[in-house]
Amino acid sequence: MQNSVKNKVKFGLFITLGVILLIAGVYFIGEKQQLFRTTFRLTAIFADVGGLQPGNNVRFAGINVGTVENITIESGRTVRVGVIVDENVREFIHKNAVASIGSEGLMGNKILIIVPGTAGEPIIENEDRLLTETPLNIDDLIVSFKSTMDNAEMLTRDLAVIVENIKLGKGTIGRLLMDKSWAEDFDIAVVNFKLGSTGLRRLTDEALISFKDNFDSTFVNLKEGSISFKNTVENAEKITFDLSVISDNIRQGNGTLGRLVMDKNWESDFDSTVVNFKQSSLKMSELIEKAKSSWLLWGF
Amino acid sequence: MKVEIEDKNESVVTITVNKENDVKTTVFSLFFIEVYSLSYFTLRFFKEVFTPPYEFKELIKQSFLIGYKSLALISITGFIIGLVLTIQSRPTLAKFGAVSWLPAMVAVSIVREIGPVISALIFAGKVGSGIGAELASMNVTEQIDAMQVSGANPFKYLFVTRVLAATLMLPILVVFADTFGLLGSYVAVNLKDYVSLHLYFSLIFQSLEFKDIVPSMIKTVFFGFAIGLIGAYKGYTSNKGTEGVGKAANSAVVLASLMVFIIDMIAVQITSLLQD
Repeated sequence: MQNSVKNKVKFGLFITLGVILLIAGVYFIGEKQQLFRTTFRLTAIFADVGGLQPGNNVRFAGINVGTVENITIESGRTVRVGVIVDENVREFIHKNAVASIGSEGLMGNKILIIVPGTAGEPIIENEDRLLTETPLNIDDLIVSFKSTMDNAEMLTRDLAVIVENIKLGKGTIGRLLMDKSWAEDFDIAVVNFKLGSTGLRRLTDEALISFKDNFDSTFVNLKEGSISFKNTVENAEKITFDLSVISDNIRQGNGTLGRLVMDKNWESDFDSTVVNFKQSSLKMSELIEKAKSSWLLWGF
Repeated sequence: MKVEIEDKNESVVTITVNKENDVKTTVFSLFFIEVYSLSYFTLRFFKEVFTPPYEFKELIKQSFLIGYKSLALISITGFIIGLVLTIQSRPTLAKFGAVSWLPAMVAVSIVREIGPVISALIFAGKVGSGIGAELASMNVTEQIDAMQVSGANPFKYLFVTRVLAATLMLPILVVFADTFGLLGSYVAVNLKDYVSLHLYFSLIFQSLEFKDIVPSMIKTVFFGFAIGLIGAYKGYTSNKGTEGVGKAANSAVVLASLMVFIIDMIAVQITSLLQD
């Protein structure tokens, strides 16, 4: 009898534990999918969801705050993503929040990332639409990476050729780095330069002494020169004043040059003179032609 | 050769196959006779299970014997499988630098496939053969006939209770096997790295979804039903004589194990179809 009670207790415990474990499993999985929390819904429209699937996580500030509920093709060019987000996070998401599609590592699942928006904007509402950013396309990235790698390969190939040439002592840099005679010449040049600089120093010392001696006499001459320069400047000032007076007269139309440049009557007279001159030259040429054929000038 | 399907309540169905005449026909005939008999027992089970009187006491007793008595074996098996799977998978994942994915991978493997199938195979070995041998020995010693004569319904009392107990107990045992398997995996992970229990189970539940756990639990109900049904059928229809007991136990295990794999294959197809 006692054994039977024991067995019943054992069996009861076995069933209870089994059911508790099953319920705990269901609870934790449901908790992950926000089944037992207060949630709100948001939507986001993308041109390309890049492999995002219902059930993928929604991440806010690096924390999983929800899941992707559904993905439907809204039109030929846009895809509507519906997400469920924990109600506790709503106060941190503003109207201008931006949704983008990211990845959990290079090979990981896709995730929807929400960037909260600016603090001054109102808090987002249930069923609101999030602004979106185009997801990073791994294929495009790979293509770009491939072209970069191709360029790098070309560069390294060229670099290898250059290094080889340098190693063989070809070209200026190659000779500079690898040619021993250049190094010897360079040593000689340095020695010569050293010697030359010593001589130069001596010369400059002598020159300084000579300069000091000549400086006084030069200063006197310079003083005289400056007086002469002052006179020259005064004369130039007078000349420019006279030129200014002349240019004023010309501008006012005084004098022959002034009238020639500024008087409009002169201009018209000159024009009519040129016209007259032209007409008279024409008539003259006609006269000459007639004279040529006149009997009075036969024999000329 | 004589195959008898004895209906204790009603008439005795006797099928006689003339073995000497045509061997080829006999092999095929035996297969279809087996299918017919099994279908008959299955339908009768569903008829008896819903009609009173209900044998609750016997059902609880059989559940205790089938479920509780298998707990230790299945838990230890689950723990070892979790441990071994983790140790074996770790080097491959380490090659890709994806050791952090180990809990997720092991969890999905254990919950979806390894937990239910390994538990079902162990269950078939222990319970299927047990039911087969027990009912066969009762058949050999004519206890079933005695029950029939005394006015009890041996099919309901012996057959239905055992099949139902197996059907109900296996899912619970699989929950234990999964739990111990994941614990074994946790121990294996901590042999090389250090991961806290909280983080480990957090990673596990992050990777699991209802689509992993629900089909797996439904599948175990079918496993349990198939194991119980085949065990009870083989025992109930065993040949008279001590040889029949051994044969019944043996064929119960073999057929039940095969059925586990067939059901698993069908379940995978249905699950993947529904998920697409």
